[in-house]
Amino acid sequence: MMDLSQAISLRNSLRNNHVIMAYNGTVSDDLMVTLADLLKERLVANDDIKRSKLIFAVFMEGVQNLIWHGKEHEENMGMILITEHEKEITIMCGNRIEKDKTQGLKDRLAQIEGADKDTIRQLYRDGMAHASEHEGPGSGLGLLEIARRSTQPIGYTFVDVDEHSVDFILAATI
Amino acid sequence: MQIAATDRTPAISLTQDPLKLSISGESFPEDVSAFYGEVISAVNQLASTAKGKLEVEMAMVYINSSSIKAMYRIFEGLDAYRLADNEVQVTWLAEADDDIMQELGEDFKDRFQSLNFTVEQHG
Repeated sequence: MMDLSQAISLRNSLRNNHVIMAYNGTVSDDLMVTLADLLKERLVANDDIKRSKLIFAVFMEGVQNLIWHGKEHEENMGMILITEHEKEITIMCGNRIEKDKTQGLKDRLAQIEGADKDTIRQLYRDGMAHASEHEGPGSGLGLLEIARRSTQPIGYTFVDVDEHSVDFILAATI
Repeated sequence: MQIAATDRTPAISLTQDPLKLSISGESFPEDVSAFYGEVISAVNQLASTAKGKLEVEMAMVYINSSSIKAMYRIFEGLDAYRLADNEVQVTWLAEADDDIMQELGEDFKDRFQSLNFTVEQHG
């Protein structure tokens, strides 16, 4: 069990990093809807509808990725972190994936990472047609949706856990 | 066909007289295939069950990427109906200031250039 001083330092860490929402655990469809409602309430208070829609779209796609990939492994836990600092919201979604499944993801991220908005839009239009060529219900559109709605280039990292698995985190700022 | 809207699924109606398909609202169903399967097959059957001008009105508020895939299948069905020598008029309505839905309408229009397709913003 975490002792109380660790709880305080965790709270301080969340506060110092301007975390407004933090979750680690099983990511279900119900959880997504609940968090989305909370996020919507907070965004409505900000009174910038256009930006709110961007934030909501990025959140939904990020969390849906976690749900989809979480279904592949019973014990797979997802992480959702949202920070808000100097009018920028950053949404981070992380989960553990099998090492041998990272290459396809890395290739797609590399393609998106260096692309300008017009290129991302073209990739998106091309992706709309290819329904069953990738894994996942959004078939690769989700990442493009996130990149397209972000106001800064997406960030991501892969951290080796052991010889079979890797922790993946994707960050998008709006 | 009449499907009532929920918090996370759109209202869908497909009528024969007048021949019209309308889809409006939010779209992030828990199971996209289950939700849209019936709609996609109804649209695919139009060429054999209907004749003449088909009016299509789409007014989405939010649509997730897996629903966009299903929507693409619907547009393919509409295009097949057009190819069976019928007129198809698509009106994509985005709420005023909703750049995301406006752009998505333009994306669909770009993918289905043979359809008579207008993208409009409304109040």
